[in-house]
Amino acid sequence: MIAASTASAPRHSASSRAAVSVENLDFCYGTSKVLKKINLEIPANQVTALIGPSGCGKSTLLRCINRMNDEIPGAHVSAGRISLNGEDINGPEVDVVKLRSEVGMVFQKSNVFPRSIFENVAYGMQVRGEKNKAVIEQRVEEALRQAALWDEVKDRLHESGFGLSGGQQQRLCIARTIAVKPNIVLMDEPCSALDPIATLKVEELIWELRSQYTFIIVTHSMQQASRISDLTAFFYLGEVIEFDQTGKMFTNPSEKRTEEYISGRFG
Amino acid sequence: MNGPHIFRDFDIAIRNLKDEVLLMASLTRQNLERATRSLLERDIELSRVVIGDDSEVDDLKIRVDQSGMEILVRHHPVASDLRLVISSMKISTCLERISDHAVNIAKRSKKICKGPELTDVALVEPLYVMADNLLRDAMIAFTDHNVELAEGLKARDKELDRLHKSLIASLSDRLESSSGMAESLLHLIFVIRSLERVGDLAVNIGEDAVFLGSAQDIRHLSKKSQ
Repeated sequence: MIAASTASAPRHSASSRAAVSVENLDFCYGTSKVLKKINLEIPANQVTALIGPSGCGKSTLLRCINRMNDEIPGAHVSAGRISLNGEDINGPEVDVVKLRSEVGMVFQKSNVFPRSIFENVAYGMQVRGEKNKAVIEQRVEEALRQAALWDEVKDRLHESGFGLSGGQQQRLCIARTIAVKPNIVLMDEPCSALDPIATLKVEELIWELRSQYTFIIVTHSMQQASRISDLTAFFYLGEVIEFDQTGKMFTNPSEKRTEEYISGRFG
Repeated sequence: MNGPHIFRDFDIAIRNLKDEVLLMASLTRQNLERATRSLLERDIELSRVVIGDDSEVDDLKIRVDQSGMEILVRHHPVASDLRLVISSMKISTCLERISDHAVNIAKRSKKICKGPELTDVALVEPLYVMADNLLRDAMIAFTDHNVELAEGLKARDKELDRLHKSLIASLSDRLESSSGMAESLLHLIFVIRSLERVGDLAVNIGEDAVFLGSAQDIRHLSKKSQ
């Protein structure tokens, strides 16, 4: 298992500065504790995959990082803390809207707004009060290029986002997320509804963008986790069983439960 | 040892792969034993059997590669399953080479047997026993995931190397003094060389068994530590 202080070199050389620090985190839905003493140092500008069986708490942790769980009645952090650049995200002075602009999220099912492609990408900037049309246009193009979608949509920017294919819609959501320049991008099974080619395009995108953003991705695909992540955390029953370099996790995991899960022996 | 996979066909595929490697090892050891016996007992017919049986080992090598590749494609093995597939394919390469050395011994044996009786052939027996024991234990280490047994093979191979060296020295002396036996003695030197290579290949199998059991790559460790 690694901690920030003991991590060996990742397979992609990048800063080993922690983008997200999770310390002794307990999280409850009402009286039910679903995350128990979670400790993770998620390094900046790398891809960290969260894997584990359904109900193990990986998506809950993901939603803790941008406080999406705040919307759920009774859901609360009962112990520990999550910090971004040293700042406790659950502190009383934290502006949740600002936090969510720093921590973007892409969901399992693409949630394209019933607007044009351009407006979908511009939406976040407009909500944040950006009025300069030139700035918005420039940033929309930049985000669409980063999302490897520009060439496919540049001639129909003002057509509905619903006219795009499933894979293009998911990349449009990624463009909308990165248009507001977050530091961290959370992804909750972003490819589970996509065909293999669209999946590879999204994975290629994550791979290309990892030098600019920190990606934390929940996936049920072992192949996806092993392909695109630098680090992998295995969750089981609300606990982190193992957190290590992805190469190590998939060739020689330290924990028997990890081995049994990733090799399809669990249960 | 790990429990069964949820998808049972994966277990069947893994078991078949292991069985193919073990069958290959069994045939290879049999070929080596027969080749050596053909030399010690001057049995030309047995040499012919060894030369003929090598194709079975070659066929098994192809089957192991096919099975391993199919597991990689169909089941995407990870962790110890992945190491098992990789080590099985590598071990089968070593076994094929050992069987080739058995054929070489059998061919040399045929030539020696056609000449006058050569008492020096008895020198081969202890070397064969050491090489075969190394091969047997390398395969046990692979089957039982016995890292300790596998790690001990390199030191044992050094003993074999010492014996090989002394036999070569003594046969070289005999070459100078013998009359009319030079060709047979040369063949015997090549037999001894083959058995020494069998020891090396058994060590290679042991290294793969260590990789399987512990994920450690111990190849060329002595060179790296220099």
